[in-house]
Amino acid sequence: MDNFIEIKDVAKTYWSDDGTSETKVVLPLSMTIAEGEMVMFLGPSGCGKTTLMRIVGGLETPDQGTIHLHGDRLAGPDRRRGMVFQSYSSYPWLSVRDNIKFGTRYRKDITAQEKEEVTDHYLNMVGLAQYAGFYTNRISGGMRQRVAIARTLASSPDVLLMDEPFGALDAQTREYLQFQLMDINKAEKKTTIFVTHDVEEAILLANRIVIFSSRPARVVREIHVDEILPMESRRNGTADMDRFFKLRAEILDIIRAEYAHTLEGV
Amino acid sequence: MFKSLFAFRKPLSRRTDLALGIIGFALFLCAWEVTARSGAIRPEFLPSPVAVVQAFIGLFVERDFSSDIVISVGRVWFAFLLSMIVAIPLGLLMSTYRFVGAILEPFVDFVRYLPVPALVPLLVIWFGVGETSKIAVLWMGTFFQLILMISDDTKRVPVEFIESGQTLGGSNGQIMRHVIIPAALPNMVDSLRITMGWCWTYLIVAEIVAANSGIGHVIWSLRRFVKTPEVMAGIITIGIIGLLTDQAFRYAHARLFSYLRR
Repeated sequence: MDNFIEIKDVAKTYWSDDGTSETKVVLPLSMTIAEGEMVMFLGPSGCGKTTLMRIVGGLETPDQGTIHLHGDRLAGPDRRRGMVFQSYSSYPWLSVRDNIKFGTRYRKDITAQEKEEVTDHYLNMVGLAQYAGFYTNRISGGMRQRVAIARTLASSPDVLLMDEPFGALDAQTREYLQFQLMDINKAEKKTTIFVTHDVEEAILLANRIVIFSSRPARVVREIHVDEILPMESRRNGTADMDRFFKLRAEILDIIRAEYAHTLEGV
Repeated sequence: MFKSLFAFRKPLSRRTDLALGIIGFALFLCAWEVTARSGAIRPEFLPSPVAVVQAFIGLFVERDFSSDIVISVGRVWFAFLLSMIVAIPLGLLMSTYRFVGAILEPFVDFVRYLPVPALVPLLVIWFGVGETSKIAVLWMGTFFQLILMISDDTKRVPVEFIESGQTLGGSNGQIMRHVIIPAALPNMVDSLRITMGWCWTYLIVAEIVAANSGIGHVIWSLRRFVKTPEVMAGIITIGIIGLLTDQAFRYAHARLFSYLRR
């Protein structure tokens, strides 16, 4: 389904605390996302890409416009759009396994026995079975993000929203998790919106990259990465590196130009 | 060994912690004993620690001090539980729903700054000289502090915890029960421990209002006869009960929230 998510004329403005000045964060913006597609939102810092994703997640209310998921108009957060945050959002009073199980807590579509099975499935999928009984503040940051991803997947959302989930991690852990996410995506085929600053991460993971302008956000370019670098070649490390670096340079040029606009506005 | 004492923010062993605590008390008692023996201050004003210990024993032998202790502990806990029962839900609601905070915060701030002893005459007019006015004094001293502390504890729950719960499909009530309360609980127990201490500080105020029982009443009535050792023994009794209560809270905190240890 090509218009699995339909963002139509969505705009958002923030007002200063004293109510005297406004900042347009997202200009009226429309786009569609296909079922199973992995879309990366890329753009200069503070451009409004996270705001747009939070609007899709129902965590922000747009000033105008609508979001439809599978034809249903969305309002407010619910289980259909699971979110993974940059900061560690796993619950410290629960063990790794109980955190993942929490993802099934509000599901009414499966039995208690199935909830246990789903929990074990995702616990194994993110490779944390041996840490099942650990509290999450006793495991590394990378492991905590794996817990958060597994917990969100266990809730069986239609859409996965990821807000720079690997942004706070070291380079090795980030790379490990990027490949793990590719494996998860291959197995789950979840429709995903992923916000990142990291161009290489975007090229590695995306079916499509959407590059935003400096604030207020508008789409300056969409790149269908699959047409340049097939996903399988990226997954198994046989991607054409010349094309990879050319694409990276092209994207960086666009972002640099947009970032210069941001600085002009300072 | 001494070098480790001066390492920045390095924890000490339990044994060292305990030994240092005992040394602190011993130093205080030594200084007190030396000052009392020097004769610089008359014994009516500063009796020796030994005299206070004798007075302490005397309170149990010559008068029924243990029932005064039981009565005071009962009053403090009853008032404290009443504060807790009302302050915890209201504090949670104040920080979770802005409109509840907007309604309650200015009033709570206003009452919080009123000195409790100044309210005693009013409370006696309203509730008489019986048990109710004493409980009311203790309640007034703790409730308005506790409600704001609980509200602050709840505000410190990371918004990502709440938003995760929302995107996992939890309703407001479910997120309150399954996310906000468990996340705020360690800080809430700390707030309860602190306000319990304040509740004890208001005990004397509560028990001088036409009381005929309780530690505060004993201290206040012996003051008239300048029985300084007995007065000090009464005060120290409150200190000991406070210390034991505080330790019980700390122990419960460590047991209940062991996941906070890294």
